[in-house]
Amino acid sequence: MINPFCTPADHRLNRRAFLGAAALGGLATPAFAEALRKERRQVLFVWLDGGISQLESWDPKPNTIFGGPFRAIPTSVPGIHISELLPETAKQMHRLALVRSVCTQDNSHSAGVDRIQRGDPKNRGVVYPYLGSAMARWLGPGTSGLPPYIWVKPMNGGFIYKDAGFLGPKYGALALGDGKPPENLLRPAEISEVDDAERNELRELADKRYAEKRKADTTDANSYAFAMAAQLQKRVELFDLSKLPEKDRDRYGSHDLGRHLLLARRLLEEGVTFVKVTSYGWDTHGDNFNGHASLVPKFDKPFAAMIQDLADRGMLDNVLVIAMSEFGRTPRINGHLGRDHWPEAWSVCMGGRGIKPGVVAGKTNEKGTDVATEPHDIGHLFHTWFRALGVDPEKQKYYNATQPLPIAHEEMHPVKEVLA
Amino acid sequence: MFRSLLILVLFLFVPALPAAEPLHLRINRLIPVAANPADDAEFLRRVTLDLAGTIPTAEETKRFLADRSPDKRTKRIDELLTAPSYAPRMASLFHVMWMERLGDSPEWTKYLTDSFAKNKPWDAIAKEMLRADGTDGSSFFIAKRLENYGQNPVDYSGLTRDIGRLFLGKNFQCCECHDHLTVDEYKQQHFQGLFAFVRNAYLADAKAMRVAEKPTLDKLAFASVFTKVPMTTAPALPGGAMVEIPQFAKGDEFAIKPDRKTNTVGVPKFRTLAALAEQLPTASNADFSRNFVNRVWFLLLGRGLVHPLDLHHKDNPASQPAVLELLAKEFVEHKFDIQWLVREIAMTQAYQRSSLGTAKPESFAFALEKRLTAEQLLAAMMAATESKPSDALKAKFLKAFANQPREPEDEIAPSLKAALFLLHDKDVLELLKPKPGNLVDRLARVDNTEIIANELYVAILTRKPTADEAKTASNFLAKRNDRKADAIGKLAWALLASTEFGLNH
Repeated sequence: MINPFCTPADHRLNRRAFLGAAALGGLATPAFAEALRKERRQVLFVWLDGGISQLESWDPKPNTIFGGPFRAIPTSVPGIHISELLPETAKQMHRLALVRSVCTQDNSHSAGVDRIQRGDPKNRGVVYPYLGSAMARWLGPGTSGLPPYIWVKPMNGGFIYKDAGFLGPKYGALALGDGKPPENLLRPAEISEVDDAERNELRELADKRYAEKRKADTTDANSYAFAMAAQLQKRVELFDLSKLPEKDRDRYGSHDLGRHLLLARRLLEEGVTFVKVTSYGWDTHGDNFNGHASLVPKFDKPFAAMIQDLADRGMLDNVLVIAMSEFGRTPRINGHLGRDHWPEAWSVCMGGRGIKPGVVAGKTNEKGTDVATEPHDIGHLFHTWFRALGVDPEKQKYYNATQPLPIAHEEMHPVKEVLA
Repeated sequence: MFRSLLILVLFLFVPALPAAEPLHLRINRLIPVAANPADDAEFLRRVTLDLAGTIPTAEETKRFLADRSPDKRTKRIDELLTAPSYAPRMASLFHVMWMERLGDSPEWTKYLTDSFAKNKPWDAIAKEMLRADGTDGSSFFIAKRLENYGQNPVDYSGLTRDIGRLFLGKNFQCCECHDHLTVDEYKQQHFQGLFAFVRNAYLADAKAMRVAEKPTLDKLAFASVFTKVPMTTAPALPGGAMVEIPQFAKGDEFAIKPDRKTNTVGVPKFRTLAALAEQLPTASNADFSRNFVNRVWFLLLGRGLVHPLDLHHKDNPASQPAVLELLAKEFVEHKFDIQWLVREIAMTQAYQRSSLGTAKPESFAFALEKRLTAEQLLAAMMAATESKPSDALKAKFLKAFANQPREPEDEIAPSLKAALFLLHDKDVLELLKPKPGNLVDRLARVDNTEIIANELYVAILTRKPTADEAKTASNFLAKRNDRKADAIGKLAWALLASTEFGLNH
């Protein structure tokens, strides 16, 4: 029944409560689960922090002044060549698309990461959500019972709220530091499974009795938090990669990015809406070529394995895959054989849901110093990704209290060449 | 006959002298009665959480429930207002409201606690907070907002916005760059006029939280991003006249000249923060008094008369305009007496209503649920389990339950983090093991399962169990006679983790 007292103004004025209620739809019955799985919209976002060099990856310029020592190799798509440091990914090229005409604004890390991941909309004095929080907002938690935005990263984890910006903490990231489960997830040994079930049954009964004569919203919200806790606990095995076939572990690799991508695959299989995987250390101001010779293969192998696995499981129809950094690297090679920050002309790789496979959009000039076609800012990419996931930036708006806000830069448009 | 009837009628309708009638009685007439009054247990828990920041002990509850005197609620309110717990509770409440989890300092806590202990009037507190030149911790509100955090520059926009929100009930954030798009009354001039008061303030000593000012010599220039018409403003309250900026001969701007050699911090002759402190907290500033009474009403009733709290404007009127105006007017007449205001609101029928029922929340026809803050939860959990808090536990509770910095705590949402904390944190679980003098230990020595059930509910939820609840608990215990303490611990945990415990209902 529609609450007779509920006016549109209530929704406007009570944003967080309203969003909270909307997100409670997360726990659907199993009967619908399979049908819903087909409707799933998910994202894998691989973040190579510090800036992967486009010249040593997606846009090689061998035998040119700034080209560096590596060759370009053919891929599974005739006519598309990428760096020889990406042999496995080259075999997946028919499932991927490249945008080689990325031209963004910021060349410092601290501002760049924020700006890129927030989609750099026009400044309206509010803090925009990161892509993960935005997708948690637009795609919802799905049916997994797991948080909609999970971030797998080296070092510390925790609950990272700042990503959510004005959307509010509910849309923040659950960060799994070094792929480990969140704090307090594991039940202490002193409480047996039976004990735990008993005390939770008593708690639920207490809540049911409390809600009998009152509006159910408050107890529902509490129950949702405990239900999510219970769901996550049941998936403790998610965090234990030792249970996976050895073959998988070999294919992804035992280094951080390999293990974290394998965990990401498991989270995507479980239906998590947005999984971000971060790899640090790509800021190669010195010794760029040895650096990339060591780093890129650690990306190449597990990333290609991931694309293959998603394809095998039919999941590329559901999952949008993005691999990128906050900027590219300078064509000019500095005195330390390094490359510096270069937002002027770089590349982004994507694939899966809504993306046309096996295509390249845009190109850079011969030396790779500038974009030779229409330049694409991060706003164009946000438009592209929203479209790929069936969210129309022309029709959908955020509301920050009463303030309507576009979900992507309103003067930009999608990169049509890579949309399916 | 007719005449005497007329006299009688006149007699009945002669209004009581306003000065003689307490404010809460007049408010009662303005808000129609709908729900039943809260029962004694609900009232006792509510008022104790609100005015002492914790739940009553089992003993206090039993005594209050057994008390037959008709004025026991009034007595309880007056006891709480004069108890040693009052000042620290008010300090905690207003700290969270004003600092929005930006940070804390012992001096600031002491300043607040001392101020509430002395019942310092709101205009005096506001004046000290805005002048920000005290050495007693009062500068913290401004000083903390002048800090750099991370690699970000000082957030002057945030400071300006917060002064508007927290002192005037008006959020001018959107007006930094242009007139508000949806609120006609909020102008860019309002934001910029307030900004002109604070733009030259800076943190001279982050450790001592010392705020200093550079001289303000000129008006502030700004332009709307839409019209691009250049404008200027001197410091000015929203809707108020511009402060005249005094002119000094060059080199003569300082009362105390800055001197790098001696580390002397300069003090200008014209201090804009002092001007702000002079102009804003006054009896003639309606925004100032309206905002405060609305916020205290929110703190006690769970929703502002004007809601959201920082959007006072004519298209978002108070749900009970007469109540707001009456409160604001009387608050000024009572010389911004905070304790008087809190008492009058706690005495209203609206405050003392039952939370059972459904109606529009803004009608205040039934009591609204308020989620406990991290501080209240800690104190209540300690009281319920008859345990002692520690600093380590306090830090854990803040981490699990407090909102993030800069997120106003006018809404607290249950979170996965908090649920996992209650489920698995080892210090929480320790509270439920029998230890000398604690709740589980005390009840494990009782044989009768009905008495145990009763004691559990009184100690944790400040009420007697219903027949069903008592039966559930008794049966649960009867089946586990061989491990009684463990069973009591489980029952206690379920009540502590319940929605009811986490709310002030």
